[in-house]
Amino acid sequence: MSAIIAALEIGSSRTVLAIGETQQDGRLKVICHSAIPSSGVRKSQIVDLDQVKTSILSVLRESEKKQLEAGSKITLGNAFLVVSGTHVHTSPLCGTTAVARQKVTQEEINEVQRSLHSFSLPKNRELLDVVERGYELDGMDEISDPKGMSGSVLKLHAILLDADANRIQDARTAADGAKLEIRDPLFAATCAADAVLEEYERQNGALVLDCGGGTTGYAVYINGRLAAAGTIGIGGDHVTNDITHAFQTTWAQAEAIKVTQASAMPTVLPGESARVQMPGDSPLMESRTVSRRALNTVVNARLRELLTILRDKLEELELMHRLHAGTVLVGGGARMREFPALIAQMLGTTARTGRPIHVDGLDDTPDSERLAAISGALLYAQRTYEEKSFFDIIRRVFK
Amino acid sequence: MSADQSLLLIGIGGAGSAMARGVKRAFGEELNFVTVDTDASTGGDDGRFVLLGGERLSGRGAGGDIAMAKVAAEDSIGALDEYLEGVRMAVVVTALGGGTGSAATLVALKHLASLGITSIVFASTPFPFEGEERQRNTTSMQAMVEEAANASFIIPLGSLIAGEDNMERALARAVDTIASGVTLFWRMLEKPGYIRFDAERLRRFISGASRGRFATAAAAGERRATAVAEAIKSSPLVSRLKGQVRSAVVGILAGDDLRLSEVGEIADSIRSGIGSVTSFEVATVNDEATFSGRIAVVAMLFESSTDEAAAGGKTARRGKGAVRGKSRILGVGPAGRGRFTNSEPTIYKGEDLDIPTFVRQNITLEF
Repeated sequence: MSAIIAALEIGSSRTVLAIGETQQDGRLKVICHSAIPSSGVRKSQIVDLDQVKTSILSVLRESEKKQLEAGSKITLGNAFLVVSGTHVHTSPLCGTTAVARQKVTQEEINEVQRSLHSFSLPKNRELLDVVERGYELDGMDEISDPKGMSGSVLKLHAILLDADANRIQDARTAADGAKLEIRDPLFAATCAADAVLEEYERQNGALVLDCGGGTTGYAVYINGRLAAAGTIGIGGDHVTNDITHAFQTTWAQAEAIKVTQASAMPTVLPGESARVQMPGDSPLMESRTVSRRALNTVVNARLRELLTILRDKLEELELMHRLHAGTVLVGGGARMREFPALIAQMLGTTARTGRPIHVDGLDDTPDSERLAAISGALLYAQRTYEEKSFFDIIRRVFK
Repeated sequence: MSADQSLLLIGIGGAGSAMARGVKRAFGEELNFVTVDTDASTGGDDGRFVLLGGERLSGRGAGGDIAMAKVAAEDSIGALDEYLEGVRMAVVVTALGGGTGSAATLVALKHLASLGITSIVFASTPFPFEGEERQRNTTSMQAMVEEAANASFIIPLGSLIAGEDNMERALARAVDTIASGVTLFWRMLEKPGYIRFDAERLRRFISGASRGRFATAAAAGERRATAVAEAIKSSPLVSRLKGQVRSAVVGILAGDDLRLSEVGEIADSIRSGIGSVTSFEVATVNDEATFSGRIAVVAMLFESSTDEAAAGGKTARRGKGAVRGKSRILGVGPAGRGRFTNSEPTIYKGEDLDIPTFVRQNITLEF
């Protein structure tokens, strides 16, 4: 029997629930996904528990409705949690051991792994993941398997991802109120990378940019491994807020005009009208138009700022010149018109929209780039389930 | 009912303090206010008074001397801080034309801006017969007050009187008009309504706004909606602005019997009367106790910026020129943070990323 797994994402813009199942060929299929507009979340952090609880209950109901329409009924008890926000921190981690007889043994590899995991986090931090980046033997790094190699000091490098424990607990509390248990919290940007990157992209150097409503997460892969990850405190809501301020309009109007009309590049393309109709929000408000160039200038300024901050961070880590496979855009912001052109200008890389390619069931979903992170979380959940199942079998055999 | 502590009414100078107390009386409920003057006799028995230049002037007033009043205000403006805790928007009522009303208003506005408090000024200017020097002082102070405030409504007293009025009646009518207008404005911000226009929304609306014009009217009876709309359109403070209005807010205050058709009629009539605007908003206040059977309307019209006017109203610039100063003030204060006003700031290299990028970077927008 294949396992049913679920993941929950409580974003600034949307609350999303996805359910997956392993197929006979071993691939994961997303059998149901539901999304509703979020409330009670600002900058990827919960600010109103009751509203978030209501959002979770609503998305659970929406999911059940979809399942009934499809002729099935799954009772969910738990879900993996997709986490984003500036409270997610990344830091380098290193384990070290001496090589006793010049050639690295399996025991010494085990020892360096134990050394790597012998850290402790402050009470207010919760572990999301420890992602191994490769071994180093006497100064030679990026070794994938050091067993049998000659040297005297073996190191194992990794990236530690941790989050504010209180923010995770808030999500757990809200989910508890909706009778849903939260399992492992997972970082959205690395989850998205798991779902959208081709292997050659991981090997040749790729940047995954998860453009959320409240914040933007990023993950860089070099030589097949995670090289850097983090969060920038600018998201799609900042773009909307800027439009609201520039044109003195409502949030709903600004959001609509951002999604349907705005461009990341300031220029007005041939064939485009010079003015943009502001969508109606209230019968008492004046129907009006705004300058397309002004609209694009507002959006361009914000996105340039986002990419400048990102470029500074990656240059500091000496990773900018290694992104040979380009940038992959996921999340709601991935749909911004001309964003790839701006990325080419600011980061000097190609850019494409990242749809989840390592899961089935989303081919007909038009905005599947918005499901990249949650699809990656399901992939993680599938791996976790399979590992557990393997150990269960071993335990049964040796019982 | 306790007053909203985020909103503060400040009366500056003798006339401004009288107007502030008039607003308080007319409002009839708790109202967060303070009066400020160099003349100790202005302080009432309410204890909410800041004396400027105490030792320097001994509470005898500045005698119409702008320079003396300015120094006195700079000496003691810090004493106002006691009343500014938790305040996000200050409504300043004052009379320009010389002395404390002019100089202390400017000092106070700069102080408010330094604390990130949004300021709206209602300032009267002298009657034409009050002399050239007062007119000259007013002209120079008016420009500085308009620059220092986030939004300003300059009300020439001469435009509020009828030719047959005697002096006493004219003055009383002018002060009453301003006080009743500010009272209606205050009700609009503090009282609930079907279409709410609270202080936070006003802060957002006036971002980038320049000089404003202000008019009020009230009517009862069968055709009350038509009557108030016509009164607003024919108001001397509004009628001469036709074609120059950039944005407008119309507050409709009424009892439980306010009809949707009346809201529509008032909005349509005033909108057609002021010509094309880039932003037009309507707010309603439902206050049966005060407005039973009546409709009162508050209209706030913001003029085109200098650049817009120079370009025949077709092009406006933000970030540089006339509007630049406003954007800068709003940018560093909480107003530009919009949706993120109550969130912890996102600081990167000393900049608050929640404030719009184009504001922080002074980018010109070609409207």
